Amino acid sequence: MIELKNVSVTYRGGVKALRNLDLTIDDGEFVVVVGLSGAGKSTLLRVLNGLVPATEGSAKVDGIEVVGASNATLRMVRSRIGMIFQTFNLAERTTVLNNVLMGRLAMVPSWRSTFGLWPAADREIAMQALERVGIVEKTYVRASNLSGGQQQRVGIARALAQQPTLMLADEPVAALDPVTSRQVMGDLARINSDLGITTLINLHFLDLAQEYGRRLIGLRDGELVFDGDIADVDDDTFREIYGRSITAGDVLADTDT
Amino acid sequence: MTATVPPDERHEGAPAGRPERPVGPLVARAVVFVIIAGAFAWGASGLDASWARLRSAPGDGWAIFRLMWPPDFATELDRGVIGKVLESVYIAWIGTILGAAISLPLAFLASNNVSPSFIRLPIRQLFNAIRAVPELIVAVILIAITGLGPWAGALAIGLHSVGTLGKLSSEEIESSDRGPVEAVEACGGRWISRVRWGILPQVMPVIISYWLFRFEVNVRASAVLGMIGAGGVGAELISQLNFRNFPEVGAVLIITIAVVIFIDTISSAVRKRIIAGGAGDDQSRMAVLFGDLVGHRGG
Amino acid sequence: MTADSSAPEPAAPGGPGGRPKKPRRKPLTLVVVVGLVLWTWFTGRQVGFDLTTFIDLWTNPLWEKFWPVPWEWVLDRDNVIDPLVETFQIAVVATVVGCGLALPVSFAMSRLTTPNGGTYWVTRVVMNIVRAVPDLFWAKLLVTAVGIGAFAGTWALSIFSLAVMVKLFSETIDGADPRPLEAARAAGGRHVPSVRAGVLPTVLPSYVAYSLYIFELNIRASIVLGLVGAGGIGRVIEAQRQYFRFGRILGVLLIIFVVVFVIEQISVALRRRLV
Repeated sequence: MIELKNVSVTYRGGVKALRNLDLTIDDGEFVVVVGLSGAGKSTLLRVLNGLVPATEGSAKVDGIEVVGASNATLRMVRSRIGMIFQTFNLAERTTVLNNVLMGRLAMVPSWRSTFGLWPAADREIAMQALERVGIVEKTYVRASNLSGGQQQRVGIARALAQQPTLMLADEPVAALDPVTSRQVMGDLARINSDLGITTLINLHFLDLAQEYGRRLIGLRDGELVFDGDIADVDDDTFREIYGRSITAGDVLADTDT
Repeated sequence: MTATVPPDERHEGAPAGRPERPVGPLVARAVVFVIIAGAFAWGASGLDASWARLRSAPGDGWAIFRLMWPPDFATELDRGVIGKVLESVYIAWIGTILGAAISLPLAFLASNNVSPSFIRLPIRQLFNAIRAVPELIVAVILIAITGLGPWAGALAIGLHSVGTLGKLSSEEIESSDRGPVEAVEACGGRWISRVRWGILPQVMPVIISYWLFRFEVNVRASAVLGMIGAGGVGAELISQLNFRNFPEVGAVLIITIAVVIFIDTISSAVRKRIIAGGAGDDQSRMAVLFGDLVGHRGG
Repeated sequence: MTADSSAPEPAAPGGPGGRPKKPRRKPLTLVVVVGLVLWTWFTGRQVGFDLTTFIDLWTNPLWEKFWPVPWEWVLDRDNVIDPLVETFQIAVVATVVGCGLALPVSFAMSRLTTPNGGTYWVTRVVMNIVRAVPDLFWAKLLVTAVGIGAFAGTWALSIFSLAVMVKLFSETIDGADPRPLEAARAAGGRHVPSVRAGVLPTVLPSYVAYSLYIFELNIRASIVLGLVGAGGIGRVIEAQRQYFRFGRILGVLLIIFVVVFVIEQISVALRRRLV
């Protein structure tokens, strides 16, 4: 359960990324966030795990206040929120397994993780996460030797290894080709329906959003301009979010999947 | 530098639409030239370099090299020159290990993406301060206190290496990709995990290649340290030169050169392998490495 | 709430779902690691590695001899300032000579711009040998050849900076874009003008930056030249060291320290602006 009340974020230098946002997301929802770049999508996701501190308002994740929380509380909240990045953000020079085990950092004593002495139970969790995204055969390969799609799956496995209640994905397919994009989106949708993990995804392409999303949130200039069922989205909604009509550039090239 | 323009197109009042040749760069070039020429003249004036000396110097230098031939290896091997060269290598190795071990944690504490400024700035200044004192001077002081010997030399080299290695490593750390660090933060990792899993895997190959490069430099430095009594091959060179035993000097030089080139070759081969082990092609990584060594990136 | 919270079952032997076996460490890695540890232990024994030195250092009564610094003596023109000026003169001249000569030699030593294979290999071998001789060895040799003083030191530093500069700069030329050179050659240019028009402009900023870097190196190197009789401030240190006048040495060092620090900051700032 996520509750945002009157959340605003002003960056140093005066840029307002979010303006008085109110939002409630129930457990197990699959929500797609759309908007122009700079509309505040990334900021919204990062407010939820405290990577970007909200300057105003209240943000509660599973009943715990994130805004102004102590470092210890933040670590605790973050340990239950998986995050997936546009640029994957893997430690490329180490193995896939080590990358996925990073999802266990908050649950393992620092001295053990620092020396790579991961407990067997955590290794097992990491293995299962890799199996769920279907690249367990790459366990001992260096992350830099994987393709972009495979790297993003490692990113998803790392988030899964946290055994999260909430999954945040920041433009997870923006760096991938159309076929791989659909596979990754499929993975995320399956994880949401199989495990019931609440999922929040920033997307650029509207057709992907309509294909996989159930609830759509539209942001424009840091303000909430649309929040509703994806089936209700029409050309007017689109114009509201993007400030213009839909064009071919807004949909992902059609491919057989 | 610029393609030569036929002279008749350069005169004033060029045809309409053609810009005048800008004079700014020409003036700047002239100013730089005058500064360098002036500095050179000022420098040369203090060096007691008469024309006669300048003319005879190359001949004098050549004469010495002629005297060294043929080198007297037999005498030198009897005097244990191999052991002395090896001692220089040992000193360089221990010095490099000390420098690497001390500089690595300090480099993290001196980086703006790891450490707050009240810790970072003093450590930075410490690096700069250490680098400003040549290791030979450090050795002069250490020898005065601990007495002659290789350990004083190793300490001096280690201390000096902390400065350079610390500076280079912290620059590498600061230029590392923030993405993995953000990922560790998003997983709820602590400070130590950010360093260990977010940064260390990225920077370690380059930092190790700095260590190796420093070892190559230190081998030369430790050979020199012997000249002031801190152990190694330098002492042998000095004493043979003082007695003007030139064939022996030749042998010492040749053995030193052989060992230094041998170590350089191995070290640079290993460095290339370590750097090439990651993503990106060998050539550009080496270019970046050399860019780092001269204080600019991407050169 | 937590979806996957049940305690994980340990993997069945052989591993379900095509789990790969953990690859064994390569025996070579193990050999290298053990070898390095043994080598370090051995070299440590050889040089008399002894951590108690750090404690002895601090408690050594000799430190008191470094204080007070006789500032009157240190700030006297003849004692310190003149030799320090000489140090800079050596560094300046050696940098200009070394880097000046390095320009043509570097082009001869780069695969991209060398006029022919013979020149390439000869310069390469000679420069590698020159670079393998430590700078103070050069200084001592030249002192023996041309006599004690700054003249010998300048020669030595010129030779050494030539070798280092050629190494750095020729590798930069190797990495330069070959297309302008091809264009110049295609236009029928002779070798030297083609290189000048096609390659020099792209590598010139690096050349200037490296020259400043060499200047910094030379400042530091010229400080110690005097320890082997090759002129500069080092001979003051050497002389005072013979008589255990540590207070004076400390004074000299502090002055060197300040001056080197200032020069380096200027040089670094210049290099940043260049690149």
